[in-house]
This record gives sequence, structure tokens and C-alpha cells, in this order.
Amino acid sequence: MAQARPIPELSPDMRFADAAAAAVEVRAAEVFEHSAGVLDSDDIERVHDMRVSTRRLRAALEVFAVCFPRKEHRRVLREVKALADALGERRDPDVALEVLSGVAAELTRSDRPGIESLAAELHEEQKQGNARLEQALSRARESQLEGRLAALAEAARSPRAQAGASP
Amino acid sequence: MKARKVKKLAPEGALADNAQRIVAVRLEELRSFAGAAHDPAEVEALHDMRIAAKRLRYVLEITEPALGPSARQGAKTAKRLQDLLGEIHDCDVMLPRVRAHTERLRAEDVEWARHAAGGRAQDLTPSVASGAPNRARYRGLEALGVYLSARRSVLFDRFLREWEALESGGFAARLTDGLNPVRPEPAAPAGGEGP
Repeated sequence: MAQARPIPELSPDMRFADAAAAAVEVRAAEVFEHSAGVLDSDDIERVHDMRVSTRRLRAALEVFAVCFPRKEHRRVLREVKALADALGERRDPDVALEVLSGVAAELTRSDRPGIESLAAELHEEQKQGNARLEQALSRARESQLEGRLAALAEAARSPRAQAGASP
Repeated sequence: MKARKVKKLAPEGALADNAQRIVAVRLEELRSFAGAAHDPAEVEALHDMRIAAKRLRYVLEITEPALGPSARQGAKTAKRLQDLLGEIHDCDVMLPRVRAHTERLRAEDVEWARHAAGGRAQDLTPSVASGAPNRARYRGLEALGVYLSARRSVLFDRFLREWEALESGGFAARLTDGLNPVRPEPAAPAGGEGP
């Protein structure tokens, strides 16, 4: 799993809203860096890394919610959540298949046909998950999510832009 | 599970003050599920407790540079708890799925056997079942179901032990008392050392 990148220059006495801007910038960059090759189902770690970084971005948006303009924060958070859900739909069968593979290796040969029949069902879900993830990534590109996250961070830096929801 | 509202957050206020308020609420939220989560059948409470552990972990991870080593330690504890509850949750998700898959195979076999008997059959001989197409699959799925149920029980007992150890060790008080804003050392006055 990818380690979270440290957020530079966080200090106890800095403005909460400045910390919000720094956190969202760093976490958003991580999400989009991990998006490369995420649809390659032969390398399941890519989906995992992007999912974890999306969760961290979502956490930053929630923790610092009060620092962002309310309406745009809500829209962006909804889109990040949709992306996280699509990554989750793709990741869940990956995890289940890993469990099945471990179990199958330790059971007897005559136990395997049952495990393999469930694995076939999960492989099908993995394909469907990939198609949904592709759509979610397209939507994120079309809505310019990356740029809007940057704008949201910038807005937090300007005093009085706030009034988001509770974290 | 909707997160509890944190009151009196101030965007113009200091990061450390706001972070401490959020941590206090997230910590109480986590502990509020512990009572119900002592019942192994309370799948929802265990799931909610996992989400609460995740929220606590993330706020501590983000603000750790400002809140110091206690926040780092608290984030590690929350992650350990989140991971363990996550393993239990995976069993809770996988078990019904195995059962549903087995049911689907069984329904296919019943349909196959019914069809094999013919439309005007008076009765059905048991030997028909031995040719059912999914017959070889049940054994592995039953073994998988047994494994998942037993693993879930082992993990749940481990969760209870670990949670009780955390509570009896006063982890909540240690976390909140230990959150000390990390402030840079004041610079030494120039020429401070006398002749």
C-alpha cells in the first residue's frame, strides 16, 4: 500500500484553512498520480493504491469541510465519493479472489471445483467493476475534478470563503 | 454511518485547536459503538465501529505533524483496530455470498434433475441427483463456509481482547492528554553566550 505523503509545513498555530488547502492539494495530487494504469486488472495494487489515496482525499475534505465554500465543497466531495465507490466496486472482487486463492491452496483437490465456480463469478464482477471504474474516471476528467480540487484549496486560502459542513 | 457534528470549528483559528476538537469527537464516536459491538451478532455496530476507527485514524494522520507523537501512536492504534474490524467485515460480506452462490448452484441442479425426469414423470429416482452438474462443487463451498464462520469467530474474540486491553490501558485518556501541539523551539538570542 502506498504511504501517505507528508503534508509540508503543517504547524500547530497555522490557520486551519491554510492547513486545509495544503492537505487537499497533497492528497488530490496523490489520487491523480495513482490513476495511471488503474484499469489494468493484472496489477490489482494500482486500484488498491488509488482507492486508499481517494479515501485519504475524502478524509481531508471531510476533516476540513468548514474551511471551503459550502456548495462547491459538497459537489466536489460527492464526485470524490463516486470515484471512491467505483474503485471499491472494482477492488472488492480483487480482495475476495485473493481470499479464495489462499483458501483453495490449502484445501484438497476435491474441494477446488466449488471455490473455482465462485471465483469465476468474481472474475465476471471484476470485469464489470472495471467498466464502471472507466466510466467514473471519464466523468472525473470531464468535470475537471483535478482543477476544481485545486480551486477549492485556493478558495480556502482566501479568508471568508468558508462555511462548509461539519467534518 | 453519518459522522457526528463537530461544533465550534473555526477556519481562522489554529490548526491544533481545531484538530483537538475533531479528535475528541471522533474518539467518543468510536467508543460509543463498543457496547453494542460486544455482541458478535451486531454486524452493523461492528461495521460502524470500523468506520469510526477509520475517521479517527485519518484525522490523526493528517494532523500528526501538528499534534505530535501521541497522534502518530493514536493513528497506529486506530489503524490496527480498523484492520481487524475490516477482516471481520470481510467475513460478514463473504459468508452470505458463499451461501447465495451455493443456493444458486442448488437451484440449477434441481432444475436440471426436474428436466431429466421428464414432463410427465410420476416420481424421481435418487440416482438422478448423482448426475447433477454442480454436484462436485458443494463440498468446497461448504468447506469455505465453515472456514469463514470459524475465522470470523476467532477474529471477533481477538477484537474483544484487544479492545478490552485498550480500554483498560486508558488509551482514550492517553491519546487526548498526549496531544500536545508541536511548536518549534524559539531561536536562541544572538550573542546569548557571555564572554
